[in-house]
Amino acid sequence: MAKSKVRNQVRRLRFENGEMTQQQLADLAGVTRQTIIAIESGKYTPSLPLAFKLAKIFGLTLENVFQLDGQ
Amino acid sequence: MNKTQKGAIYCLSAISLGIAICVYLVIKIYFLKSIPEKSSAAFWMAMYFLVTVSSLLFLRKKQSPNEPDTDERDDLIKKRAVVCSFVSVWTLLVFTSITPQFIVGPEGSIPAWALPLINLPIFLIAMGIYSIAVLVQYGRGSKDGEK
Repeated sequence: MAKSKVRNQVRRLRFENGEMTQQQLADLAGVTRQTIIAIESGKYTPSLPLAFKLAKIFGLTLENVFQLDGQ
Repeated sequence: MNKTQKGAIYCLSAISLGIAICVYLVIKIYFLKSIPEKSSAAFWMAMYFLVTVSSLLFLRKKQSPNEPDTDERDDLIKKRAVVCSFVSVWTLLVFTSITPQFIVGPEGSIPAWALPLINLPIFLIAMGIYSIAVLVQYGRGSKDGEK
């Protein structure tokens, strides 16, 4: 199976949503700040439930927050 | 640094100290053929006391009251570290099963006191490998989730 890389817009969306801090986003998503940092830097791909949770926090669909490379 | 990382560092420190003490005792008793002095026993006890007390460093005020102790990424890192540790136990067991044959010969025998000296360090090393695996994954940001 070919490797797929998932990109995300979490950092941009965080700033666009009232300059939310990483800690605030982490609290809303129920994860640690380290996980948010890892997601934003592309070093960690969240699970589906967490991805859906993040999208819901920003009021967007999943595809608007996370994209597969090439999309 | 989160609880998992601090736990790994503490575990690694305690295991390293334990291995150092074991090596010192083995060399002192079985190779140098002398009994360790009382002062050295007091020294090593003090070292262990310091390592134990230093665990108070783990008492850490949460950055946020809603911050969970662990999340999915922490669990994934710990799961992978357990797998590494499990593989290392098997590798070490095979190694320690085969090596004595080359030391004492296929028909040789080892004293009973050697068995705990062989087996206990295996599990200590496995715990050490678990701790190292945790720290390496956190240290490089880990590419978890990318398959």
